[in-house]
Amino acid sequence: MSETARNRLMLVIAIIMAAIYLFPLYWMYITALKSGSEMFATPPSFWPASPQWSTYTYVWESRNMGLYLWNSLVIAIGAVVIITVLGVGCAYVLARYRNIWVDIGLFLILMLQVLPASLMITPIFVGFSQIGMLNYPRLAVIIAIAAKSMPFFVVLVRATFMAVPMELEEAALVDGNSRVGAFFNIVLPLARNGILVSAILIFMQAFGEFVYSKSMIQAAELQPASVGLNSFMGPNTNEWNNIMAYATMYVTPILAIFVLLQRRIVSGLTSGALK
Amino acid sequence: MRRILSSVRDGRGFDIVLVAFPLGFLFLMAGLPLIYNVVMSFQEVDMFSLGTFSRPWVGFKNYVDLFAQPETLPILYNTAIFVVGSIAGQFLIGFGLALFFWVNFPGASWLRGLFLVSWVMPGLVVGAIWNWILSGDFGVLNFILKDSGIISGNIFWRSDPHYSLYAVIIANIWLGTSFNMILLSVGLSGIPGDLYEAAELDGATAWQRFWTITLPMMRSTIGAIIALGLIFTLQQFDLFAAITSGGPNNSSNVTQYWAWDLSFRQYDFAKGATISVIMIVFVMFASVVYVRSTRHEVRG
Repeated sequence: MSETARNRLMLVIAIIMAAIYLFPLYWMYITALKSGSEMFATPPSFWPASPQWSTYTYVWESRNMGLYLWNSLVIAIGAVVIITVLGVGCAYVLARYRNIWVDIGLFLILMLQVLPASLMITPIFVGFSQIGMLNYPRLAVIIAIAAKSMPFFVVLVRATFMAVPMELEEAALVDGNSRVGAFFNIVLPLARNGILVSAILIFMQAFGEFVYSKSMIQAAELQPASVGLNSFMGPNTNEWNNIMAYATMYVTPILAIFVLLQRRIVSGLTSGALK
Repeated sequence: MRRILSSVRDGRGFDIVLVAFPLGFLFLMAGLPLIYNVVMSFQEVDMFSLGTFSRPWVGFKNYVDLFAQPETLPILYNTAIFVVGSIAGQFLIGFGLALFFWVNFPGASWLRGLFLVSWVMPGLVVGAIWNWILSGDFGVLNFILKDSGIISGNIFWRSDPHYSLYAVIIANIWLGTSFNMILLSVGLSGIPGDLYEAAELDGATAWQRFWTITLPMMRSTIGAIIALGLIFTLQQFDLFAAITSGGPNNSSNVTQYWAWDLSFRQYDFAKGATISVIMIVFVMFASVVYVRSTRHEVRG
């Protein structure tokens, strides 16, 4: 078998495997377009007979999705801003030095990274209610997410800073830059891409966050889309086409960002998670 | 004062400022809750004492009560099944896919990256999709299984106590496989190619090469991935909330969901904190394994 024929065969198998793996996603998009009776047909149809595009407008208006997505956006952006402002400097220092204190700091950060949110929410909720933070529920969620996700961000961005040659910074110092100047003019621009990719990963996580929002935000008009989806899915629901339309409008922006920046996200992720 | 300022601008002080704020923030928002959690597990906490710090101390009563409850052992057992089942599924399928994509062909890395969409999606959405796929009468999984002759009657994945836990495990395997595969691919590409050439010259079969070169060379990667899998699996909450809510009758309940349920559904914050303490000890143990297996890489 020639090289090209083999490559073609491999590619076909790979596409089939990807299609099987991504079938749940396809099923979400297809179900959202089905009518109420087609959805419950046996055997199920794998292509909608008459696509019901109006489901989207109906769900958007009846579930008040604009508000839910806006809250998700506020929470995600708030968390990303706090994490980026605090985390970049921390990652830089942890990348620049090699000594026992850096090892201890890294170890503590890795430890904090693993604490499950559903277990940490009990003390956070009680503590926040005691200091009155629950009167600002979205801010409380933003801070809780920031504390939860910052370690992951620091680990990823630290890997980026490790790739910036220290000689460049030293040269800038010799040329008369201060430490602050060298950091902002030389090091930060060189690490920009890595920081951006890590921030996007954090954004996608925070955009889908559920435990903290569900526990701390009682007012429906402040809840993010994940909580909205949860309350949409009652125990015995049968409006699956509407729920899938909701899910579609919720994830499609995230999927679009991911597919566009896929190569960078994957390489940023792999450089940080294992190294 | 001027010396401090100039040190912040141009010396050691700069590093200290950069690192002090984030670590202080993390201590306030992650370290203190951790300590508070332990404190609460030794106190009596109810709706009325929620607002005050001076609550009655009860010693180990919460722990004793917890293990006296009839559902505790089944839930711990469920957690073990969930963890082992999820990690085994994610790892084996992920490793298979990583080996396949290791053969370099045009488009391989792009297609491989596409798998990761399952991991970047919000957990609630993944749960909603699988909830629908796994539904009993109209679920597409039951249809496919019946059509291919594997089962004869519909399986009620979410409402049958024998299957409900496996419904969540299936969804969790789907969610985590791609992440396993990506990390395993990184490990595979780190194995030097001349090892295989030498083995091939010596007449080793593909099977022998896999067992004597690939697996031993991947040992530290595999250790790190299994520890990471344990950490992620114990963090999994959204799928339970979206698919079974721990039911029916606790048959799919696991500790991380139960702790939340006790605190926020039954308002028994002390019990919730008690389970949290027990599980956090577990998770920390896993993370020590993870840190140790990546230590030489952490040092760069």
